[in-house]
Amino acid sequence: MSSPTTSAPEPPRYADRPEWSDVIPVEQYENVNPLAPIFYKDIYKDAADYFRGIVKTGEKSQRVLDLTERIIRLNPAHYTAWQYRYETLLAIEADLEDELRLMDELAITYLKTYQVWHHRRLLMLKIRKPATELVFIAKTFREDAKNYHTWSYRQWLLAYFNDDSLWSGELDFVDELLNADIRNNSAWHHRFFTVFQSGVRDGEQDTERILRRELIYVKQSISLAPNNASAWNYLRGILDHNGIPYSKMIAFVQPYTLPNDDQKADLVDLDNPPPSKDAHLPCAAAVEFLADIYEAEGGDSMLKATELWKSLGNEHDVARKKYWEYRIREGLRAIQT
Amino acid sequence: MSSTISDIYNFDLPQLTRIAHAGHVKRCLSGLPDSQVDVDSGRMALAFYCIGSLDLLKMVQDKISSSDRESWREWIWEQQTSGKYGAGFRPGPFMSTGPSSTSTYTDYDTPHIIMTYTALLTLAILRDDFSRLDKRGMLVLLKSCQREDGSFSTVPGSVSGETDLRTLYCAFVISHLLNDWSGINVDRALSFIASCRSYEGGYGQTTYCEANGGTTYIAMAAIHLAPVPSVPLTPSEKRKTIEWAIHKQLQSGGFCGRTNKVADACYCFWIGGSLKILGAASFIANCQFKFGGIAKAPGEHPDPYHTYLSLAALSMFPLDDAHSTSFASSWVFEPLDPLINARQETAEWARKYIAIR
Repeated sequence: MSSPTTSAPEPPRYADRPEWSDVIPVEQYENVNPLAPIFYKDIYKDAADYFRGIVKTGEKSQRVLDLTERIIRLNPAHYTAWQYRYETLLAIEADLEDELRLMDELAITYLKTYQVWHHRRLLMLKIRKPATELVFIAKTFREDAKNYHTWSYRQWLLAYFNDDSLWSGELDFVDELLNADIRNNSAWHHRFFTVFQSGVRDGEQDTERILRRELIYVKQSISLAPNNASAWNYLRGILDHNGIPYSKMIAFVQPYTLPNDDQKADLVDLDNPPPSKDAHLPCAAAVEFLADIYEAEGGDSMLKATELWKSLGNEHDVARKKYWEYRIREGLRAIQT
Repeated sequence: MSSTISDIYNFDLPQLTRIAHAGHVKRCLSGLPDSQVDVDSGRMALAFYCIGSLDLLKMVQDKISSSDRESWREWIWEQQTSGKYGAGFRPGPFMSTGPSSTSTYTDYDTPHIIMTYTALLTLAILRDDFSRLDKRGMLVLLKSCQREDGSFSTVPGSVSGETDLRTLYCAFVISHLLNDWSGINVDRALSFIASCRSYEGGYGQTTYCEANGGTTYIAMAAIHLAPVPSVPLTPSEKRKTIEWAIHKQLQSGGFCGRTNKVADACYCFWIGGSLKILGAASFIANCQFKFGGIAKAPGEHPDPYHTYLSLAALSMFPLDDAHSTSFASSWVFEPLDPLINARQETAEWARKYIAIR
């Protein structure tokens, strides 16, 4: 298999290969004044001419795999080459697991190309062996642990094949990624998807227990790194999803809204882990959370909320000053009407 | 420490080099090196970002010769193609073997929904009268591309084309411009959008995916374009989406697309556009943008996509003229229609001339 490095010698053109002499290459038709034309390299133009020639005759054979692979390596966004390749694989009953192994290499080289992942999905619909795919994806996260396509593919695999044995490793997997980077929002999102969006699996019927486990998990994470929007969003997300009012969190949140020197000597309380000693406090996300609690209470508490918004605009989150001013206006309007 | 708006404007805001930005996109229109070969299957979109940038800079009618405009229109119309799945525009002639008007397309040279959207907007920018538009065929194409779950594939056919919110948005704009929604099942499409909503308040690219700025803009715009009387967002959902979007602005003034990611100029548009549609943009109107010129971030290479979206963001959020500098006039833009993403005058032209076909 040729590697896509630039130092490798250029492969021979199809026009110079006797075994392709039966194919009539077809030039791209373009009228006189092309808009944003691409000045193709000879090797690309040669392959594209032969590809149009093959598509015209409808040939589906082993050599078409060679041709489409060359085009894909030169231009991985060429969706028609992918489409024709897939149809050819099926037509000649090629070994799709061989194809998947080739894709292992191409996926890492072209991590951000839609087509690479779409093709893989089509292959998996035929091969139907999702477990090894999860292992492969974990490997690609070493290149980029926030790659949108890869996460999307993983979520699709889990939801589509929806097999208990597939799901069983997901929380440990997320944990590993969050240990490496506690601010990896894709991993937090995946945790929410795994716990709350994928139905109830064996051993998870006790939703109270699951909820308590998740609250402890996210609170522990916040106590280690309070200034982490991903964890606060997760906390809000699980409360919203389970219909629990934010006010239930007041004992946990309050210590995060105070400066470091106002912190009391901590008692060990699993439900309310305190901020770590070196935390940067007060934490803006906690102040915002507490203000939301007061706002929901309404009445006199609204004034407490406006004080907190004022402190966000003036001190803790100056970049969003205009937004906090807007929240104050809206809050005051709500108690006047 | 974060700098205030006036700090930025007093000594940091340089001239917006309008001529240079126009030069960049005009060079792209005249040709691209082989290193850009991956835009070949999206040339129509590239043309839109280039010509759209010129439109936002108000240079199309005065600074582009009428023969150039004419030949650009001709190239775009050459990409309109019709066949068994209906009619629309393809990305360009990369699979073309002859004039599109003389024969119907094959399964390997079909029209493409995203390219059809960008072609319609570009033709409106060029003030085409749309007399050649195959409206009926376009409705058929939309029908061919909608899937059971309400989403749309980029191209028709059984295996080709990924389906996600981007294509759905383009299908909505096309129906809106045609002023005819008979090509799509709106209810199903709206439930697909709802399935993309994340616990964070933003929307992912497809069901179960992480909230992202681009797809949140698209979800908001599509919901507001839909021809149904009620907006399918509850007040608390709407508030949560606003909060999510607001928190995508970073200390630098720039915007990121997902929680805890770095700033990228294009999210000034995607996040700013979401807020504009939600009626919550007034308080960021005065915020400066960390405006990496025309690249995604300072020091990176410019490209038409980031150029267009950065200029479009500036069109949505005019600078506060209380902070005017000697370069203030270089930063003045005409208003933008945030739902279909075009200069207002262009959007009006598109609505008027496409709907009557």
